Amino acid sequence: MNYDHILVRYGELTLKSKNRKIFVDALRRTMIQTLEPFGVHVKANRDRAYIELNNADPYKVMDALKHVTGILSVSPVVKLEKTNAAMQKNAVDFAHEFQDGSTFKIEVKRADKGYPLKTFDIQQLLGSHVLENTEEITVDVRQPDYEIMVEVRQDAVYMYREVIACVGGFPAGTGGRAILMLSGGIDSPVAAFEIMKKGVEVEAVHFHSPPYTSPQATEKVKQLVDIISDRTGVDIRLNIVPFTELQTTIYDRIPQSLSMTSTRRIMLRIAEKLASRKHAGAIVNGENLGQVASQTMTSMHVINRVTSFPILRPLLTLEKDEIIGKAKAYGTYETSILPFEDCCTIFTPKSPKTKPSLEKVEGFESRVDFEPLIDEAADNIEVYISNTEAESESFESLL
Amino acid sequence: MIYMDNAASTRPYDEAVDAFTEVSRSYYFNTASIHSEGRKAEKLLGASRRQILDLMDLGDYECVFTSGATESNNIAIQGVLETKKQFGRTVLLSEMEHPSVINVAEKMKHKGFNVEYIKTTESGIVDLDSLKYLLGNDVIFVTVMAVNNVTGSVQPVSEIVEILKSYPKVYFHVDATQAVGKVRMDYSGVDSLSLSAHKFHGVKGAGALIVKEVKSMSPITFGGGHEFNVRSGTVNLAAIAAMAKALRMSMESLEENRLRISRYNKSIREAVSKLPSVQVQPGGVPQIINVSYIGARGEIVVNALSQREIMVSTTSACASKLSSLNETLMAMNNSPDVVKGSIRISMGHFTNDQEADKLVSALNSVYKEIGGVLK
Repeated sequence: MNYDHILVRYGELTLKSKNRKIFVDALRRTMIQTLEPFGVHVKANRDRAYIELNNADPYKVMDALKHVTGILSVSPVVKLEKTNAAMQKNAVDFAHEFQDGSTFKIEVKRADKGYPLKTFDIQQLLGSHVLENTEEITVDVRQPDYEIMVEVRQDAVYMYREVIACVGGFPAGTGGRAILMLSGGIDSPVAAFEIMKKGVEVEAVHFHSPPYTSPQATEKVKQLVDIISDRTGVDIRLNIVPFTELQTTIYDRIPQSLSMTSTRRIMLRIAEKLASRKHAGAIVNGENLGQVASQTMTSMHVINRVTSFPILRPLLTLEKDEIIGKAKAYGTYETSILPFEDCCTIFTPKSPKTKPSLEKVEGFESRVDFEPLIDEAADNIEVYISNTEAESESFESLL
Repeated sequence: MIYMDNAASTRPYDEAVDAFTEVSRSYYFNTASIHSEGRKAEKLLGASRRQILDLMDLGDYECVFTSGATESNNIAIQGVLETKKQFGRTVLLSEMEHPSVINVAEKMKHKGFNVEYIKTTESGIVDLDSLKYLLGNDVIFVTVMAVNNVTGSVQPVSEIVEILKSYPKVYFHVDATQAVGKVRMDYSGVDSLSLSAHKFHGVKGAGALIVKEVKSMSPITFGGGHEFNVRSGTVNLAAIAAMAKALRMSMESLEENRLRISRYNKSIREAVSKLPSVQVQPGGVPQIINVSYIGARGEIVVNALSQREIMVSTTSACASKLSSLNETLMAMNNSPDVVKGSIRISMGHFTNDQEADKLVSALNSVYKEIGGVLK
């Protein structure tokens, strides 16, 4: 079928009448950025958007929109002149692609109440015309194998067969800004997608401790940021924090059983600093209740005490296999499982406390002046912007 | 010297040699090393991989680097049969395959596989009716080359993909060694294909096995787990980068070369078809022409041309175990005299007008010289 447009239906934003313009503008910007390589034209109206394909592959365009937040569903459509003849001809074109022996129905939405034929009349007209001009197919209005959907609107008639579900949610940037703690494991990239669904703009933070962590681990986090950015159509800043000095200080000064708790607390303090600087409203992580020692409720409480920012945990109650399923669907799984250490194993205590005592942790930490080290780390952040390290770039002369 | 044996090997592009030396000098690190220089080398390897897949229009496939097509064919046949043997035991291949396919398949007979040959039409194309006839429940593997190395005939790869859609358990391997860089073909749907850099003006010692699903392969040699654990051994990065460069250059000049070499092909065919007792085989890609001096032996013609500083080849040089005479020409129903007296002329990117003209006059003068022995 020669589809010439993609119809884009908006997600939850249809509910928010007051902010609609802001939402539509945000979604338009993201769609334009995401679809830039395709040479298509994006026309975002108040209630829906049309993408003029200019011969681009409709399925590739729709795939690119799959994770753009704020889109409920998409359909490849044919835009038709508002005449009975044009509708009849196109309905038959659609029907010629149906398998022999199959059933179909015609579904009509008549948004233009001025159109001379009523909904039922259009159904009749098209249904009977299809039957007259095809063999081997019949009508079944209850459980048809195929549906031909016809929307009669003010500007034109749109005809389509498929409605492909997208991620839904709110457009990027309409839900405020948050700092995302990105480790490079399976969970935190999923947390990114989940929070971004709500229109939250994320700025990622990653801690590395060279030489105890490998450069590949940092590369991997950059790759994850690239994937998240590609799929959502939003640029993402990644803040890479030099953590070696803090890590070794904790190792020297805090008892092993509490070192993991302290490490998380210090990381959170740096994330909080970043959040204030960037005017973010919250900190997001991939924590999951009870999964590991740092993620028991007691641990969360003790770690959480260093900040007054809300910590959002979109994966809090999911099962591990649900998270893996989501990671696979979002396309981050394969990268996440690459075998590089995200947090140097030599510093991982053999038996971290699952119920650390706040009093003890605060007691040990008070004997060390972490503040200057934290400031130094925060002042020496290296920033990576998604998709700015095209790998083959430097090899052009060789290849 | 006039080089007309490009189907055997080609002169590398200067740019490919430059890439080879530059990479040897500046990226001599092991691609598996974890230090920063090793990672740079690994990135160059990844960029070469992507460039080759993109140029082959097989972006969804994976590219396993090997030492060349012989190794690629060995891995494809042995590695896949190993994983698929519980589904059946029959392997189908065309009679025209290269020895690196036929001899491997024949060897697999000792491991309990049945090997059957798909017939060839007189124009040197694999007979699709014969393929359909042979396809059955026990067949797990089909392999047909893309372009024949003896006559240049172009095989119906996408038609075979279409036929095999009804046989989902059949794995389809294509030896594309003589096609890559010479002719644009649609490989979508094949399970794997082999290529060799030195056939398209890269350097020797690099090739690839391009596979749809790398998990379908089990390794045939064992080691450090390089190349998706399919082909262990330190990666020949310099030759691989040179291959990526050579493939890009070959694809960029493909159309221009096709038109130019088609002209040479036409004038050579016209010249020799006037000679009695000389027969020209049906062809395919313009680069390859197979000519028989009936009554002579191919070696005699090769020697006579070599004295005139023109390098061509006989077609029996790569004879396999299956037959002492060239399988492709025998399969095309030629008489033994035609097969024995055949030579292969193969042109390439560097072949020019003067060389083509000199070849035509040399073919005529050789005819005069040895005409007495022809039948």
